[in-house]
Amino acid sequence: MTATNLVKEGGLVKLDVNAPRRRFRLSPRVAISYVILLVLTAVYLGPLAMLVNTSFMTQRQFNRNATSIPETFQVENFVEAWEQANFARYLTNTAFYAAAATLIYVVTAMGLAFPIARGYIRGGKTVFLLFVIALFLPPALIPQFQLILNLGLYNTQIGYIMLLVTNPVGIIILVNYLKSLPRELDEAAAMDGCGYGRFLLSVVFPLARPVIATVVVLHAIGIWNELILATIYLSNQEFYPITRGMIVFQGVYGFNWPVLAAAVVLMAIPMVILFLFLQRYIISGMTQGAVKE
Amino acid sequence: MTYPFGRGWQRVTPYLLLAPGLLLYFLIALGPSLATSLYSFTDASGVAGAPVNFIGLENYREFLFAGQAARDNIDALGRTIIFSVVVSSAQFGLGLLVAILLTQQLPGTRFFRTLFFMPVILGVVIQGLIWRLFLYPLGGPASKIVEMFGGYSEFLGSTDAFWWVIFVQIWANMGITMIIFIAGLQTISVDLYEAANIDGASAWQRFRFVTWPLLTPSVNTNLILNIIGSLQAWQLFLVLTGYRQGTQVLGYVIYAQGFGQTSGSVSNAFRQGYAAAASIVLFFLVLIIGMTAQYVLRRREERLLG
Repeated sequence: MTATNLVKEGGLVKLDVNAPRRRFRLSPRVAISYVILLVLTAVYLGPLAMLVNTSFMTQRQFNRNATSIPETFQVENFVEAWEQANFARYLTNTAFYAAAATLIYVVTAMGLAFPIARGYIRGGKTVFLLFVIALFLPPALIPQFQLILNLGLYNTQIGYIMLLVTNPVGIIILVNYLKSLPRELDEAAAMDGCGYGRFLLSVVFPLARPVIATVVVLHAIGIWNELILATIYLSNQEFYPITRGMIVFQGVYGFNWPVLAAAVVLMAIPMVILFLFLQRYIISGMTQGAVKE
Repeated sequence: MTYPFGRGWQRVTPYLLLAPGLLLYFLIALGPSLATSLYSFTDASGVAGAPVNFIGLENYREFLFAGQAARDNIDALGRTIIFSVVVSSAQFGLGLLVAILLTQQLPGTRFFRTLFFMPVILGVVIQGLIWRLFLYPLGGPASKIVEMFGGYSEFLGSTDAFWWVIFVQIWANMGITMIIFIAGLQTISVDLYEAANIDGASAWQRFRFVTWPLLTPSVNTNLILNIIGSLQAWQLFLVLTGYRQGTQVLGYVIYAQGFGQTSGSVSNAFRQGYAAAASIVLFFLVLIIGMTAQYVLRRREERLLG
């Protein structure tokens, strides 16, 4: 069948661990592989290293020689960034938006995906198609703005959250996964007198936990990184998420790279940690969403 | 499929529980997306309560044919295509190469994979700021390297800024292409490679006759995702260069016109009807290129898999 299943069985992560490891031998091919990989590592690690390095410098040292090793470790940069950038406020906002929108999204998405996967509704295939074609559709920016404006939700947190509660890719991932749950479950539950709503809540939700985790993580990352909608719809600084706040901070502190770099490091740390722990869900989400049908 | 949960109210519940999600999708995503075409025939301004008048094809005429602005738009259109071609092919080639290197079970594989994928989750703001620092023209690492060869560049402030954004775009998104290829490569049975080895196939022949045809699903996925994604991408321009003559792509034109974020000299009006027309132009570009790619890839798949 599809690559998806095999990935789930063989597992991106699993295969690395369990596959019998050939004994390591430095052939020319291995040597060339490493040369390429190390060059790329420099391109990927270099900018990150520069960022961390800069975040510990004084501004004077940075102006003198931007690529030198920090003489004194200016931890003050982080303190200044945290205080001046209004980080606590922006982080709280982002966390709130991500939590609220993701919760609404996942609950409504399951209500959508399950009957489509099972064929319990008329026109389910057509409905599914509406989500598949989303990739090709014209940008919705303009009418979306008119809608929010006319609903009186411009520059409100509710309006902003409302814009973040859809995600066609997640629906596709959910439907494909739910198709693999055995249908006998439904029949057995119905026989025992369990209604549709309760079945969805107390049987399907728990069984779909791995895929829900994937969809939740993907969706929340998208919200965490959202910049454009925040720029368009939120004009009150008190409502800014971290992305928008960062752009504003960069406008003010653009001349002071060490403090700006410290702010970027502060903003990146939660994502890096999250990624290291949830790598499995993130990667399986990205590959499943892509390798559909 | 027969519905086991009974009749009456029980039969209606699935529809009731499906409704909120579908409604939200219509209201926020699908509806606005389709309504873009309607707005493209109006002079909508983006001011609450301002009258919206039907003006026919005027926006399209102005966008494509009216003087210098139209020439800039055509330039932006061409730039969008160049951006897409360079980004998708580089991302495809690099992603495939790295995926192959990382499925040889070399020590360190997991580290490399994590590192190359990292930018994807960091998002445009961090990606952009990281590279603005690295490309800092007054003594940043990149300028030191250029100086070593006796050169000088303003990087993101120069006329080459467009190419630097392309570079960062590839850097930022290669990881997605890579993991999709890795997933595809891991579905190919080791037995096939062993059989090929017994037949005395060279490394190139193994790639050409085993890997490449069997990788078709991920090849198609990656090509479509890369092409469409890069045609619509513009956020990195916002963080890296801002709206500037000679760098903007179509996506950025839409945003700048629709929300008045063009740079200082240009007017600050929200020209949303005009921006909607630009959205439809981009939509047709995506549709034509995307459909052609789909068609070619499907033909190829049929030829390969009988």
